[in-house]
Amino acid sequence: MKDFPEKREGESWFEKPRSRRDFLKMAGGSIAGLLVTASLAGAGKWEDPEAKELRVWAIPSGVIVHDPSRCVGCKRCEFGCSTRNSGKVSAELSRIKVSRNLNYGVEGVTAAYAKADGQMGNFRIVAETCRQCEKPACGNACPMNAIYADAKTGARVIDAKRCVGCGKCVQACAWNLPTVDPETRKTSKCTSCEGDPTCVRLCPTGAIRYMDYKEAEKLLWGADANSGATVVSGATA
Amino acid sequence: METFGYTGKILRVNLSAGSVSINDTLKYKEFIGGEGMSMKIMWDEVPAGTHPFAPENKIIFGAGPLCGTGAPCSGRTNITSLLPSSPFHGIASSHMGGYFATELKYAGYDLIVIEGKAASPVWLRIEDEKVRIEDARWMWGKGIFDTQAMVASFMGKEAQVAAIGQAGENLVNLSVIRTGASHSAGGHGGVMGSKNLKAIGVHGTGSVKIAASGKDWLELDAYMMSIIGANNQMVVPSTPQPWAEYSDKSSRWTGRKGLFWGAANPPVETGECDPHDMQSVGLRTMKAIFDLGAGAEKYTVRMGGCSHCPIRCHSQLKVPQLEKYGLDPYVANTCVGWSGPRGVMCYGIKDFDGNTGSDASIVGNAIGTTLADDYGVWCNYAQIGRDLKYCYDKGVFKRVLSAEEYASIPWSKLLSGDASFYFDFYERVAFKKGEFSHIADGSYWIAQRWNLGDDYWNDKSGKLWTRGGYPVHHSNEAGAQVGALISCFSNRDSQNHSHMNFIGSKLPVALQKEIAGEIFGSPEALDAPAVYTKMNVYKAKFVKYSLVRSMLHNSLTLCNWMWPMAVSPLKERKYRGDTSLESKFYSLATGIRMSEKELDETAAKCFTLQRAYTIMQMRTADLRNTHDQTTEWPITPDHAKDGSNIPQFTPGSIQMEKSDLELGRTMVYKEFGWDETTGAPTRSYLESVGLKDVADRLAAAGLLPG
Repeated sequence: MKDFPEKREGESWFEKPRSRRDFLKMAGGSIAGLLVTASLAGAGKWEDPEAKELRVWAIPSGVIVHDPSRCVGCKRCEFGCSTRNSGKVSAELSRIKVSRNLNYGVEGVTAAYAKADGQMGNFRIVAETCRQCEKPACGNACPMNAIYADAKTGARVIDAKRCVGCGKCVQACAWNLPTVDPETRKTSKCTSCEGDPTCVRLCPTGAIRYMDYKEAEKLLWGADANSGATVVSGATA
Repeated sequence: METFGYTGKILRVNLSAGSVSINDTLKYKEFIGGEGMSMKIMWDEVPAGTHPFAPENKIIFGAGPLCGTGAPCSGRTNITSLLPSSPFHGIASSHMGGYFATELKYAGYDLIVIEGKAASPVWLRIEDEKVRIEDARWMWGKGIFDTQAMVASFMGKEAQVAAIGQAGENLVNLSVIRTGASHSAGGHGGVMGSKNLKAIGVHGTGSVKIAASGKDWLELDAYMMSIIGANNQMVVPSTPQPWAEYSDKSSRWTGRKGLFWGAANPPVETGECDPHDMQSVGLRTMKAIFDLGAGAEKYTVRMGGCSHCPIRCHSQLKVPQLEKYGLDPYVANTCVGWSGPRGVMCYGIKDFDGNTGSDASIVGNAIGTTLADDYGVWCNYAQIGRDLKYCYDKGVFKRVLSAEEYASIPWSKLLSGDASFYFDFYERVAFKKGEFSHIADGSYWIAQRWNLGDDYWNDKSGKLWTRGGYPVHHSNEAGAQVGALISCFSNRDSQNHSHMNFIGSKLPVALQKEIAGEIFGSPEALDAPAVYTKMNVYKAKFVKYSLVRSMLHNSLTLCNWMWPMAVSPLKERKYRGDTSLESKFYSLATGIRMSEKELDETAAKCFTLQRAYTIMQMRTADLRNTHDQTTEWPITPDHAKDGSNIPQFTPGSIQMEKSDLELGRTMVYKEFGWDETTGAPTRSYLESVGLKDVADRLAAAGLLPG
């Protein structure tokens, strides 16, 4: 496991030297000419003429996509994710969310549960994964500027030193994917594991893939969205 | 204090008092966890002679230190209590897979000890540190599926639920506790019912800490993933594969190109499943076609199973024909969860009601499995169907049922193979309707009630292994004396796969014998199938290893349907597995360094405690003659066509010989350090493992040998 992080969230592992030039390179030409007043390693912040604070985000290089047809609900992804990224094993802290939908699907328990998604119904398992949104609501909502784009992958990651566990990012995320660790009062979210996601590696059926962002967009929301797989909203194909 | 592997807390719920308290798990750590700790608590707190349905009995739901850690195949829940179907209400454990135990760990508990009896039906609600006893009067009378949904409606969709159905409520001896879609613990449903406890719901937002670094933990996982086989650690594919040196048609490693989960959307191909490809490990066991035949492929939505297990052994099917019977089309199970209900149709399921061929068999089986799972009826490891057939064939029902009741049973459906017979059968059983329903009292109790004599016990096709009322479960057909003796030491069907996960690997016998030699000291520990040799000390070591590992797995909690892993699918490892994996996982998870030998000896102590409790219950130290004997048929020679005996140890015969098995018992007792005459633990052994209090209590009762 050569690429296992030496440090965990909040430790210096995340604080690799990043130059403004690197940031501009990642973010592309769209911000050329703007005055970047703060560099948070991947996210820039500036004020527009109306004095409204704006942030610009590097485009993520990849995103985790989950296939409900192949998923068998073993939760090895959750164990691997929480072990690597939180240093303990927990379904709650896993950045990929299988447990929450395992038995009764995204919708939860209904009178028609026996035919609805989930192990208690039609057996279909819909995981929820971070979309690494182009305009991440979590990052934009963070009052501490603790969420930034990872220099290598562009994944929106949390600087635990800045995070105060206020939960604003959780509320801002349409899918409630960031999670406040009740033990540390720090928030966690998908880091893409530096481009080699642990969940992908540990999945025993190949149900989780780490895809090029554009390719994933095409599969999930674009022309290939009806390729035969049943598509639900979000990073699940 | 931070604990590793363990959460450090045992939840104790007294239903009589309506109180909840917490104990320190680590006080019991010398009993490992799960079943081992439960044996200690039962020994300390429930006096021998207690009736299973008395409020003084306790029922303990146990997870071990590896449950919730992500260790492969660690999702099982161990349940220990007194067993209603046992002649002496012996202490016994039932187990269920699924996700319940892992959720319990995340809620912060290693075990739940349930005491007393609620005044009216209740369910137990566990949400992290919040534990409440809730009103279940409205849930009472519901099937298990709806009960689970009702509990999850209160607690949220993440809740994992263990519940009983109507069979458990009505104190049917053969009833289950079930969780999730298809995970049943057979035997203890009535104990929950007797306590007026309908269900336990648990949701945990916490974590399990690992003593080792995350890096080391994931590296051990990756190593283990290279060794793991298919279900029951079968390491040879059922069809020739480009990567495989061997193949065996009877293997559960069924994955291959062209074989699909046919009802998935879109269908999922199982594929080549090269053992080096970690991302196809979960595809190699396509169990639906193994359990239900090739016709099941088109019905298979996916393979399911338990938390943190990459081997998916539960077939999850969509059988649209079920809707005609008012049942939901989705049905799941594995192994005897299918064949147990199928056995109830003891003259076979034939074309019925427009269902033909393999479709009839699958539709019929699915009806039986759905009803058994919802009512929560246990099959006593498929014995209930054999008992039904015996009692019908021998005219027992005509003798013991009133003419009116006899006439009310749709025998013609049973005889003609019409699976709608299930509706009538399971309703009578689950609601204890009429004399017929006693078929679910268990074999010992029906033999008493209906005066079934030696003919019943000694009927070879009846498969009853001991007068304890339980059947063969990988016994003489599985490793000769090894399987036969393993089945003599339980208070229920042995549920032991420690030996099967090795001798059933499908590797060539010569290779297996070589590996047996490395583990047990001589290749003679293992006989070729149906080419049996006399008992020897290496077989005795194999028996002890199997009994001890089963206790170890139920304590850690790991799945004994996959562990231990003495073999692997890897040619470059010369197909060797690693029997020290359990101790590696235990040491890294808990930070308590234990060698393979130390962990085995600790589990042997736990197994001995169960033995001591059994002695107290049977009120005799002479377990050799009162407990460990088989029925007659396993030790009776087969007959040739001309009526002459085929002597035991003739190639082709798997029959055991009485004197040889007695020698085997002596050898196994010696391996454990017990008294070689009676099979009871001695004071010197008990004191050497720190169980002086056990020796003292046995001595005070006059039950210590020597």
